[in-house]
Amino acid sequence: MKKDNPYNSVKANLLEVITESPSIKTFVFNLMSPFSFATGQFVELYVPGVGEAPFTPSSNPSKTDKIDITIMKVGKVTSRLHSLNKTEVLGIRGPYGRGYPLDNFKGKEIFIVGGGVGLAPLRSLIFALLNEKSKYKKIILRYGARTPEDIIYKSLVRQWQNSKDVDVKLTVDRADSSWKENIGVVTTILSKNDVDITNAVGVVCGPPIMMKFATLKLLEMGFQDSQIFLSMEKNMSCGFGKCGHCRIGNYYCCKDGPVFTYKEIKDFPEIWD
Amino acid sequence: MNTYYIKKDDFVDFVKRLSMEFSTYYLRKQTSDFYWKNEQRRILYWQKYDGSLDGMVLNWVRANDPLKQFIFSSKERICQDFQSVEPDDRPLLIIGAKNCDLVALDILDYVFLEGDFQDPFYAKKRKLSFIIASDCTDPLEICFCRALNRQAFPTKNFDMALADIGQGYVVEIGSQKGQDFISKFISKFVIANSDQLEERQRLREATSEKLESNIKRLQIPNASELKEIMQSGFSSGVWEDETKTCVECGCCNFICPTCHCFFLGDSREENKNIRYKIWDACLYKDFAVVAGGANPRKKLYQRLRNRYDKKFDFFPTVLNMIACTGCGRCISGCPGKIDIRRILKRLVQERQLVK
Repeated sequence: MKKDNPYNSVKANLLEVITESPSIKTFVFNLMSPFSFATGQFVELYVPGVGEAPFTPSSNPSKTDKIDITIMKVGKVTSRLHSLNKTEVLGIRGPYGRGYPLDNFKGKEIFIVGGGVGLAPLRSLIFALLNEKSKYKKIILRYGARTPEDIIYKSLVRQWQNSKDVDVKLTVDRADSSWKENIGVVTTILSKNDVDITNAVGVVCGPPIMMKFATLKLLEMGFQDSQIFLSMEKNMSCGFGKCGHCRIGNYYCCKDGPVFTYKEIKDFPEIWD
Repeated sequence: MNTYYIKKDDFVDFVKRLSMEFSTYYLRKQTSDFYWKNEQRRILYWQKYDGSLDGMVLNWVRANDPLKQFIFSSKERICQDFQSVEPDDRPLLIIGAKNCDLVALDILDYVFLEGDFQDPFYAKKRKLSFIIASDCTDPLEICFCRALNRQAFPTKNFDMALADIGQGYVVEIGSQKGQDFISKFISKFVIANSDQLEERQRLREATSEKLESNIKRLQIPNASELKEIMQSGFSSGVWEDETKTCVECGCCNFICPTCHCFFLGDSREENKNIRYKIWDACLYKDFAVVAGGANPRKKLYQRLRNRYDKKFDFFPTVLNMIACTGCGRCISGCPGKIDIRRILKRLVQERQLVK
């Protein structure tokens, strides 16, 4: 057990800010102390004097010199982050919680469903899967965004598509004239013909409403509730099960999650709200 | 360990000697006659020792405000400019804690000391606290610890426990630390005789009977039913109905001996970046809200229900312990007159109608 002050952040140097969409930016940090995380775990990012917010890193977990965090501008801390220039000193705590169980994923088809900024943790997952590509049968990504310009990591997604490393299908809610792919919510591109459900896991990350309907769709396609992995977002404040804010039924999202199987949480109320 | 007896004057000397090393807080009665004439307004509070033990009460009932505040501060500076703030290391002597506050420490210890990370601020204060507990002899009408199978006399988490038997106190030892202090002042402590122990027992039984007859009269449900009725009553209309008078003040949370939620607040003061750990209340609207605006408990009744859910379902599941000690503080503190006993009773009655 760690005896030092777990509430204290360590310094993180902001090296670069990459604009991904009108409301989403990726922040690249290097840390003054050694840092590693398992894909799917989260950190508390600190803007000194302003506050903290929880994020799941979007970078490759095997890369330990730098860490990427992709952030949508939605609240007090994220608005401040979006106004930052590079070379700022911020703070970080973590990593916390339980990430994706990659050992459980080995030998299977990984059917990944993302929505909006929810692709951020999934990018880290896909990097981790590609690190040991031969150990997974297939990597499938189904990603939806509101409009073509809201799609994040555009060139990387195209690169995955072109290299055939990842079976990618995209959709947008509202298209412009240049859009050649599917139009509709993400469930319209989920098909049981694209995946061997007898040997697969489903992974879902996105806004709550999208996670709910994507999960219901996966169940309808024939996934078992124990085969569906959800990256849950609750109000994680301390990050390690003390402060009480992120309870989901008999769990705390921060220490027991943020990755849960649907089976673990489906009987608790209020999970999608 | 032995059970001792000490005369009241000698105990006062003992406390005065100890207070040279400790910051001492003792249980004191509210001095105004106005309060004392009205049983419902009977108030005991924690008085910081300042050379005298005027108005000290070592039996009666629990303090108005919970014991937790000494170990889990309502607002505490924990970090400054990426440095940890050192927890205050002055030892605390707390005199007069009742069992409803002592058993609550099991919940707080679990939250703050167990798991992958320990809270160093709680751990330090807990370790530095010397608790002299005492028997409850005059429970209030709102007290219902016996319904939750708790005793009204100290059963755990104390260093010494006192029972007032008239001329002096029967003293039980609860820890090595307690034994060590007795040993230092051994001339004042004599081994309790059987008459003294019997008198303590008689008083304890009388208190228990008082509580139990009140519980019976008010038909307060028993601990064994509570987890089941929380689950069966989750969708009950009782929650919305009982929330009608809630003003979302958070008093039930703050005054509760087991409520432990807090938030980390960052601010900039005099060119320093400070992080505080501050009590939070799950009744507040923003308690579970996420940055994107989603709120799993938008409605006030959901938040009221959440408090009960955590006490009567979550903790019994994860720790095999109800996180309510029956102290009744949330009843007396609530400006909306929301009564935890009434809610539990209504849930039991609803379930019986369904059966």
